[in-house]
Amino acid sequence: MNSLGVLLDLPSVRLALLALVLGSVALPIVGVFIVGLDIMPVRFAMMHVALLGIAIGLLTGLDPLLCALVLCAVTGGSLTPLARSGTGLSGAMGLLMTLAIAAALLVLSISGVNANGAFELLWGSILATRPGDVVALGLLAVLVPLLYGLRRRDLGLLLHDRELALCSGVAVERLTLILLVVIAVAIASAIRLTGALLVDALTLLPALAARRVGRSLPSMIRWSVLFGLAFNVGGFLLALLFDLPPGPTLVLVGGACTLLLHSIPERGLTR
Amino acid sequence: MEYADVRSPHVRARTGATTPAVIAAALRLSAVRCRHGRLIAVDGVDLTLAPGEHLAITGTNGSGKSTLLRAVLGLHRETTGVIEVAGRQARGTADWRRRRAEVAWIPQRQGAGRFPLLVKELLDSGGHLDEAIAAAERLGVAGLLDRTLGTLSGGQLQRAYLARALGQVAAGAELVLADEPTAALDFAGQEQVAEVLAGLAAAVVVVTHDRVVAAACGRVAEMAAGRLREVR
Ligand SMILES: Nc1ncnc2c1ncn2[C@@H]1O[C@H](COP(=O)(O)OP(=O)(O)O)[C@@H](O)[C@H]1O
Ligand SMILES: [Mg+2]
Repeated sequence: MNSLGVLLDLPSVRLALLALVLGSVALPIVGVFIVGLDIMPVRFAMMHVALLGIAIGLLTGLDPLLCALVLCAVTGGSLTPLARSGTGLSGAMGLLMTLAIAAALLVLSISGVNANGAFELLWGSILATRPGDVVALGLLAVLVPLLYGLRRRDLGLLLHDRELALCSGVAVERLTLILLVVIAVAIASAIRLTGALLVDALTLLPALAARRVGRSLPSMIRWSVLFGLAFNVGGFLLALLFDLPPGPTLVLVGGACTLLLHSIPERGLTR
Repeated sequence: MEYADVRSPHVRARTGATTPAVIAAALRLSAVRCRHGRLIAVDGVDLTLAPGEHLAITGTNGSGKSTLLRAVLGLHRETTGVIEVAGRQARGTADWRRRRAEVAWIPQRQGAGRFPLLVKELLDSGGHLDEAIAAAERLGVAGLLDRTLGTLSGGQLQRAYLARALGQVAAGAELVLADEPTAALDFAGQEQVAEVLAGLAAAVVVVTHDRVVAAACGRVAEMAAGRLREVR
């Protein structure tokens, strides 16, 4: 077992912890949006789009992660018209995912970069967190709760029922556009922390756990942030203590807790 | 189509109408056609409803009643023809926003929402929370304000949606579209809702299989295979 005190003195560990804490504010809220809009496949699509962004970055010599971020934001925004029909978004994700990965492989082969290099970026590494990542997560940690605070009524109605929202004066198209862009950007920034394969740990797991205990949008938002902090920081410290890879460890911690929560009978929870 | 303004002079003065006093129909449909892909759900419907007039629409399942109401709110995209509310057609986003504010809607499928919404949030969404809560009290669902829609019974949910619609009327809606608003109600509830609808000064179109509700309306029409035929 490692001594936590010594490890926490390392700058990379501190930066990682800071990134995780900041990420735990914005990303679980984004997870609640994803669950609410019923667009879980969007996360898989975004992961592939991010890969395409990275490939374009490698080809052009621009910052690959910045390219991924921008491409995800643009793609997320352009999906808005599909959100009009309930099943439109989910269905289109499969197509987008396939096209994005094909385009990524094409770009990679043109740029002559070893594809493994791009895939490595997708694995992410918490301990390789750079100050730029922390800034991105910090911005999200301010903007996402702000969006929620300012548009609480509209969000509640939209996530409940798009048509009810339309008939209640909510600017549904604009709000959907904002949400999709925020979701895409959040996923792209989270990829850096745990890698694309484990992004769920930061977004969906806390949201799914919160859905179990929260009975209204405000309480679900609060619980999701609380769970996010607990899963991520808890998992990270555990990984440090036992010298385990941080990404998978905090995913397993979050997953186990969520599962546990869902296995408690309904009446056992305060509702 | 326009109507002679039969409202009393002081009401006219308050609403700013000048003589010669004419006011637009609450709802005017002309050659309205709605498709679901290749299926024609509404097939050339014409209708004029005067302000304050109440119309019941009956008809078999799948004859296009819900689709027609949804078209008035701009919720059905594949629609052609003329749909005017208070003399105005909706074209751009702003028009539709206005349309949805001036038409109260009780959908047939309520609470289909994936996400928890509290009853008081539903009532608030109609634009006049106080009046909606007062209506909820009359309808016996004021005790449920802090419950989520998903935990209500079908009848309670319908009463909550009706209370929301009454809030919309208080906020200025002059047309109410109610899609089978008594389908989940007990006998007493059906009578109560019929009474509440009948008492509205706004124009009402109510889709219903309920004789009590239909009897309380001044006009009755039947929908069959996408066509509307006036019965009474
Ligand atoms: N979302 C939809 N997609 C395809 N067809 C639909 C859809 N909704 C309704 N329909 C069809 O349109 C017709 C009219 O439906 P609807 O307006 O709901 O009837 P009603 O309310 O009179 O029972 C029916 O044949 C129905 O099957
Ligand atoms: Mg119907």
